[in-house]
Amino acid sequence: MADPLPGNIALQLQLHPERFDPLVALAAWQRSLAASGAEPAAAEAHFIGRVRGVTAAGVPLEALELEHYPGMTEAQISRLAADCAQRHGLRAVRVDHRVGRVLPGEAIVLVAVTADRRGPTQRGGQELLEALKHEAPFWKREWSGGVGAWVEGNTAF
Amino acid sequence: MITASITVRLFAALRERAGWAERQVALPAGAAAPTPASLWRQLGLGDTLPAQVRVAVNQVFASADQRLEPGAEVAFLPPISGG
Repeated sequence: MADPLPGNIALQLQLHPERFDPLVALAAWQRSLAASGAEPAAAEAHFIGRVRGVTAAGVPLEALELEHYPGMTEAQISRLAADCAQRHGLRAVRVDHRVGRVLPGEAIVLVAVTADRRGPTQRGGQELLEALKHEAPFWKREWSGGVGAWVEGNTAF
Repeated sequence: MITASITVRLFAALRERAGWAERQVALPAGAAAPTPASLWRQLGLGDTLPAQVRVAVNQVFASADQRLEPGAEVAFLPPISGG
């Protein structure tokens, strides 16, 4: 699961077909970083995204369905992470993303990064999240009242 | 005899509009190599590839005008909504 990226950056990437707990994923990541024997990074930034309870049209959401392109989605996230890590000097990257049917309030994405300083850490994490939203092949369908509607594009930053 | 072919894949709204997810397109011997844009027309998906539809060849984003090798996998991707 941990793939070395250019510059000895460790990437851990997991797509979850079932509900996942982002805090459990973070704890596992931190344990694996500690076990690697590398000097702990001074800065770490985390982002957890959850499914909101209303659709883009403002009506109650029953569930969000996440489709992806098996193989390309993972490869594309690895490329985006390597690129971002190189630009911001990140040391370690962890990405978890849901696929399948996700309920309101459930975690849909976790992006966690480490680096030596808070600026590059926060900027690198934010940039990787935005890259995921626009450049990794995922498609959302909102289910409401038993009817599904594909979401074209992303919510406001 | 094995006929050279290209795999075409559709996702999300594009797949549901077309009513299929994957097709094999045979390459007649001696014919010019197709491009993603020419396959889009050939498969009746539309006259021109809409600007918002992205193309991947062998699971990497690619130009709609690149010539496709036998055995290639081309995918048409509607606007991405991840995260």
